[in-house]
Parts: sequence; structure tokens; C-alpha cells
Amino acid sequence: MMGPILVRGLALLTAAGSSLWGGYLFLQYTGADGISVLDLVRVSLVALSGFWLVWGATAAVLGVFTPARRPQFDPRAKPRGLTAILVPIYNEDPVTVFARIAAMNRSLVALGIEDRFHIAVLSDSNSLEAATEEAVWFEQLVREPASAGRIFYRRRENNVGKKAGNIEDFISRSGAAYDYALILDADSLMEGETIGELARRMDGDPGLGLLQTVPRVINAQTLFGRTMQFSAGYLSPAFARGASLMQGGEGPYWGHNAIVRVSAFAANCGLPVLSGKPPLGGHILSHDYVEAALLSRGGWTVAVDPALEGSFEEGPENLIEYAKRDRRWCQGNLQHWRLLGAPGLKWWSRFTFMQGVMAYVASPFWLLLLATSIVAAVFPRQPIVLPALPQAQTGIWGLALAVALVLVLPKVLILLRGMVDGQNRRVGGTFPALLSVGGEIVFSTILAPVMLLLQSRAVLQVLLGIDGGWPATQRGQSRLTLREAWAASWWIVLTGAVALGLTTTLAPAAAVWVVPATLPAILSPLLIAASSHGRAGARQPLLFRTPTEQCRSPVMEEHAAIVEQWTQRTVAAGQATGKIGLHVHA
Amino acid sequence: MKYDGNLPHASALPDAPLHMPKQQLERRRSLFQALRNAITTFSWL
Repeated sequence: MMGPILVRGLALLTAAGSSLWGGYLFLQYTGADGISVLDLVRVSLVALSGFWLVWGATAAVLGVFTPARRPQFDPRAKPRGLTAILVPIYNEDPVTVFARIAAMNRSLVALGIEDRFHIAVLSDSNSLEAATEEAVWFEQLVREPASAGRIFYRRRENNVGKKAGNIEDFISRSGAAYDYALILDADSLMEGETIGELARRMDGDPGLGLLQTVPRVINAQTLFGRTMQFSAGYLSPAFARGASLMQGGEGPYWGHNAIVRVSAFAANCGLPVLSGKPPLGGHILSHDYVEAALLSRGGWTVAVDPALEGSFEEGPENLIEYAKRDRRWCQGNLQHWRLLGAPGLKWWSRFTFMQGVMAYVASPFWLLLLATSIVAAVFPRQPIVLPALPQAQTGIWGLALAVALVLVLPKVLILLRGMVDGQNRRVGGTFPALLSVGGEIVFSTILAPVMLLLQSRAVLQVLLGIDGGWPATQRGQSRLTLREAWAASWWIVLTGAVALGLTTTLAPAAAVWVVPATLPAILSPLLIAASSHGRAGARQPLLFRTPTEQCRSPVMEEHAAIVEQWTQRTVAAGQATGKIGLHVHA
Repeated sequence: MKYDGNLPHASALPDAPLHMPKQQLERRRSLFQALRNAITTFSWL
């Protein structure tokens, strides 16, 4: 097994070499009659954006050739340390959230290891209605087996610091009572076996500060949601294995479905408020990457184990919800720009911050490339500043093919590996897997220009100093009408129409390059609305089927059963509202 | 807020504080920078 430094070097050489070669090919084509300043701007954008594209693809290819070792463990072995399972919530539906907690608790009780785990619901809900509902359903939750003295609820009056502040508040008040904390999101669900194994891994490695699982997306119903779910369930494990290989002990933390050593977390992860105002100052939004970097700075191992199964989350069901979440992540990642020079951080942590920044800045770069290409087509006679390069053998189509290959090759390799390692069988066979991978490539390609414009707008908003705030996630409200889709995307339609109109009028020869980017933008309301529909309740189609749809995990079955059982008691619970309200102080 | 010990089925969260010191993420200004700022402040004299 190669060490992380060697793997990083290999990935860096591949990405740098490929992007420089791509830039050279591009310059051969665009600067055939001599190189202008506009050509130099465009080639810089191609090389910079191409670098991160190849970097991501390299991680996936590395993951394809990395064996997935299935961990062997005794699920009934009791961990030595005491773990607090933390469930931070913010104006969520308490029925589904508390039912998840109940399902996880039952899973732990069935294994007989529940006494090593406490569960704390950490509410940051600022709506009185949500807080009252939480109190009512907490009453239901503590009727679960072995809950006495193990399941807690508290609500903060002031949700300062948002989720990171919520966790910090718990650790500052109760952290010394626990060895480890399993940090979840409101939509997280984990098998008791996985929870137990995480705690045992912490027991077994005193240098391990944080262990992250790779959560699979579940319960998606819409076309958009199921495509994301397939991508996370079928494609992401290879990406995660590759990333894990590169990261070594300086791995990622995605903010949930991960266990931390409380003493290490407390000593290293107290986040300061950044100087200046939001969006780039104030509280750190994407706290997870920063906490991973700080643990690493403190000498602790931060690891990810993609082979650990039984870790789930839910995802956005339509593009508008996705864009809302992405807006928050964009602001958080761009904030990391300010932390690149933070004292004492490891170089890999700084690189990870840069990677997060580029994940969002790449979109305006691609957009700028498109815009400058239109300008170059409209005004072909630019002043020449450098002589032309020798003529290319491959031509611009060769370069376009190379870009397509970078995007598609990892997915094809994952499909081929699936024929050998049994992953295709878990999604219904190689033919359904082939259909789904093909469908995912088509779907993501069609939506790419829409995503590109959404991300470019988000970056622009952050740079203009517009704070996106912290909107609550709307779960279970997926279906969008054409009117709602239009209200969210009219400016995308307008941008696409103007770009296409200008190109076809002023430089028709360049239209062939602009149509693939502008047509999806013009059709975006239709795409957004259509992809938000699904077949709720019915048996899911073979396309985009995931292993968890094919064979539901026991904790998923338990969760569904509990939700059904509890919702039948809604009336009775409603009657109890007044009684419980007396017991919970907000 | 404080946790209510009267919850019927669950005792309050453990009262076990753990200090979580704020980390330094932004570089402090150097001595040279501080001196320059001080001089700039009095530059109107």
C-alpha cells in the first residue's frame, strides 16, 4: 500500500500534467494565428479548472483500484468508552427525527450494548411551534426501551454559533462525562452495529481523534433525489476510497455520521468568531473541515473508513433545495480562504481548504471561459502578443473528448469493477447498473449548466457581501410546480437566452459550442419541475436503484415501522402537549 | 438554559463541564505591524 504522500504526489503530477497538456492543446487551437491576451486568459482558465477536474477523477480512479476490505468485528462486544450520540436539530419534523433515534436505540438495545451509549437531542429550534412539537414527541421517545437516564433533550434559547455552537455548548456543559461523541445530523440514521464498531475503533486506537463513515443517501423518491442517491450509493464509495488513500490520517470530516474523541475535540476544536462581518467573517459556517484541520494540527488522527456500512442520511429531493444547501456550503467554503494561512495547520489541511474554495470558484471560471470564448468569436481580430504554437494533430475536438473522458472514465471503471466485486449485483445486475450509470452521466450533464449558473451566482453573492443565513432544511416537500421552478430559475433562462441569442447573431460558427451550455439553461424550469417528481410509495424503478433500495437495512425498516406506529397516535400526542410543555424549559 | 431534572422519563444531562478553548485561526499582527499602526495613529502630530 502506497503512503499518502506518494499518492498525493502521483495525483498532483497527473492533475498538473494533464491540465498543462490540455492548456497547450487549447492554445494550439485558439492561437493558430498568434496568441492574444484573450487567448492567455482563456488558457489560464482551462488549465486551472482542468486541474481540479482531473484531481477529482484521479481520486476516483485510485479508489477503483483500492481493495474494499470488509471490516470483521463482533457486533455484541461492548465498547469500553462511554459515547454520547448527539443529534442537533433545527426546526425539523420531530416525528421522523425522533423515530430515527428510536430505531438506532432499538438497534443498540438488540445488541445489548446500549449502556455504553447515551443519546442527546440538542435542539436549536427557534420556532415555538417546533419546540412544542419536539417536547411532545420527546415524551414518545422516552417510552422506548432502556431510555431512562440515557436519552436527553435540551433546547438552547440562543442558537449562537449554529450547529458548531450547539455541539460546543454540549461539550462545555457535559463533555467530561463522555469519552466519545457520535455526531449526527437530523436526517442521520445508523445501524447499532456500526455505532458500536465506531466506539470500539476509538477504544482500540488512542491516537484516533475522529473517525468518519461514508453515509449512503436513502429514502429518495424524486428523479433528482434518486439520481443523487444512486451517485452517493454506487459511485461515491470509490471516490471516498481514493480520497481516503490520499488523506491518510489527515482525513475529512463531513460534520455528521462521525465519532470524535471528546477530550481531543474539546482541546482543539473551540472555533473562534472570525474578524469582520458575514459572509466571509463571523461564525465559521463549514465548521467540519476546520475541526478536522484543527484535530490534525493537534496531532490526532482523522480517518475515514468507506468500508463501514450501516451509515445513512437523506438528501435534497429537488434542485431548489439542493441549491439552498449549496449556497450555505459555498459561503462556508469561501470563508476557508481566510484560513489558508492559519498558524500551525498541516499543508494537506491548507490544500483541503483550497480544494473547497476551488469546488465553488471553478463554476464562475467555466462561465468566464464561455463568456471570453463568445467574445473571442465575436471579435476574432485581437492584438497578437506571442507567436503561434506548432499546429495540433488532435484539434479542439480531441481536447473536448479528453475532457469528456476525464468526466466519464471514473464512472465506467466503477461499473467494470462492480462486475467483479459484486456491487452491480446489489443494484439489480450489470445491465441495470449500466443503465443507471449512463442515466446519471446524461442527467448530470444536462443539469451541469444550471448548477454552474447557480454556483456562480452563489460565489458572486458571497463576494458582494450578501450573507445567505441559515435557512432550515425543508424535508418531505419535494414536488415543485412549473410556476415555482420558474420563480427560482427565470434568471437562468434569461442568461441562457441572451448568451445563445448573442452568439447565433454575432458569431454563428461558435454556436455549436454554446448550444450545449445554453439549451439546458433555457429549459431549466422544465428540468427543475420534472426532476422533482417521483413515484412515492410505489416500488421504485430499476433505473438508479441502490443497494439500500434493493435490500433495506434493518434500522431503515425499524424507522419506517416506528414512524407509522407513532403517526397513528398523533391525536393522543396532541392532547399531551400541555402536560409536556411544563417539563421542558427553553 | 438549564436542563430540567423533572422530566418524567429521563434524568438531566450530566453536569460535567469540559473547557473548550478558542483556537487561533487568524494570524496575530506582528510587532512591526503594531509599531507601524501606533506610528500611523500619531502621524497627524
